[in-house]
Amino acid sequence: MNKFLKKRLSIVIFIFIPVIFLWHPNWLGFLGIQPYWPLFWLLPWSMINGSINGIILGLFLGLILDALTLDSNFTQIPGLILCGGWFGRIKMHSDLLVGHFRYGLICAFGSFLCGTLYFLQILINNYSDNNFLIFIPSVQNILAEVFLTGLFAPLICSQLLRLFKFFIGKKHDNKFL
Amino acid sequence: MLDIRRISTNRWWHKKKIWLFFGLFLFLVFVRISKGSLYKDFYYFISRPFWPGQFQKEVILNSIERETLIKVDLLKKDNIRLREILALQDSYNNDNISAAVISRKTGSWWRQIILNKGSRDGVEIGSTVVGPGGLLGRVKNTSLFTSSVRLLTSPESKLGVWIDRIQINGLLVGSGDDYPSLIIYSKDADIKVGDFVSSSPASTLLPPNIPIGIVKSVEEPFQAKKRAKVILLAKPHVIDWVQIFKRKI
Repeated sequence: MNKFLKKRLSIVIFIFIPVIFLWHPNWLGFLGIQPYWPLFWLLPWSMINGSINGIILGLFLGLILDALTLDSNFTQIPGLILCGGWFGRIKMHSDLLVGHFRYGLICAFGSFLCGTLYFLQILINNYSDNNFLIFIPSVQNILAEVFLTGLFAPLICSQLLRLFKFFIGKKHDNKFL
Repeated sequence: MLDIRRISTNRWWHKKKIWLFFGLFLFLVFVRISKGSLYKDFYYFISRPFWPGQFQKEVILNSIERETLIKVDLLKKDNIRLREILALQDSYNNDNISAAVISRKTGSWWRQIILNKGSRDGVEIGSTVVGPGGLLGRVKNTSLFTSSVRLLTSPESKLGVWIDRIQINGLLVGSGDDYPSLIIYSKDADIKVGDFVSSSPASTLLPPNIPIGIVKSVEEPFQAKKRAKVILLAKPHVIDWVQIFKRKI
């Protein structure tokens, strides 16, 4: 069991993303807004497994998270697919410190992309009704989410990347043996 | 000489008794004119130690409370009877379900709460969810053990409401922040800050007269519509327990 968990650590953590998404701990938030949790997992996973895997897992994440939210007219899939594809093209940096800051910057931009795409869907859906009513809170939502995602990403992403690389490396070693 | 002295001592105004009677008479006249105020004030001071105490006050307050409860109960029964006559939805459904909030997303895009009661407990899609203060939202989705509630603040939430002071219907639209927008399709509607917003008495989706919120600010009329921001009375980010009103069709 322990061996299985270690081998499939990335999948185990993947299963816990919706749980954290639902948990929504208020003490971790800013203006009632949380960091965009799925990106913390998607970035290290896509960096290791490439763009195609990133796109597929982005789609899967989107499907799960859409199932958890009640907004049937809007979806998180486009943002997560784009992020998955883009994250897969990012190469690891040799400098550890620069790498840390890069994770923050990349996740912040990814969160901005996902937030903007979601906002555009809301905007298009409510085109005739009350566009300007949702404009200011939506911009506030995006900015707070970008800030929090960028703040937590260096801490979480670098740890997850280290764990994924460590266990994948072990798996490959076993294969060769 | 002696006679003169005698006469002077026998004058009536030289008699003490007469003056005493006269004084008493004046006092009684004063009492009569003042309607006994002096006596009443005197009684006020001497009866003070015997006034009804704290215990008496409690008894009276309890009686008033009981009287109010009985009156409310009678009014409820009256309301139910009248609503049955008018074929309107019942507001006092005793078939409520208490549920705890196990997940809440009250910021960001997704404004929803998840409750620990689901279809197994009889929760149905469309049921009204009320917390301390007033309406929170409606059940949008149920699983076996949980139910998801779309909050009034969600950008997808649209609800017909009633503004009691001006007796007009409006549309409460979630705008992605904590203050949903109230849209009134009348440019001349005299909506003011502080107006009370509740569910419509003639609503078929919601139980009537559930408190929703208070108008926070009013915008200038635009394209024959008047818009206002509403502060919700029930605060979803702090509420832990809610009531689910079972839907009656």
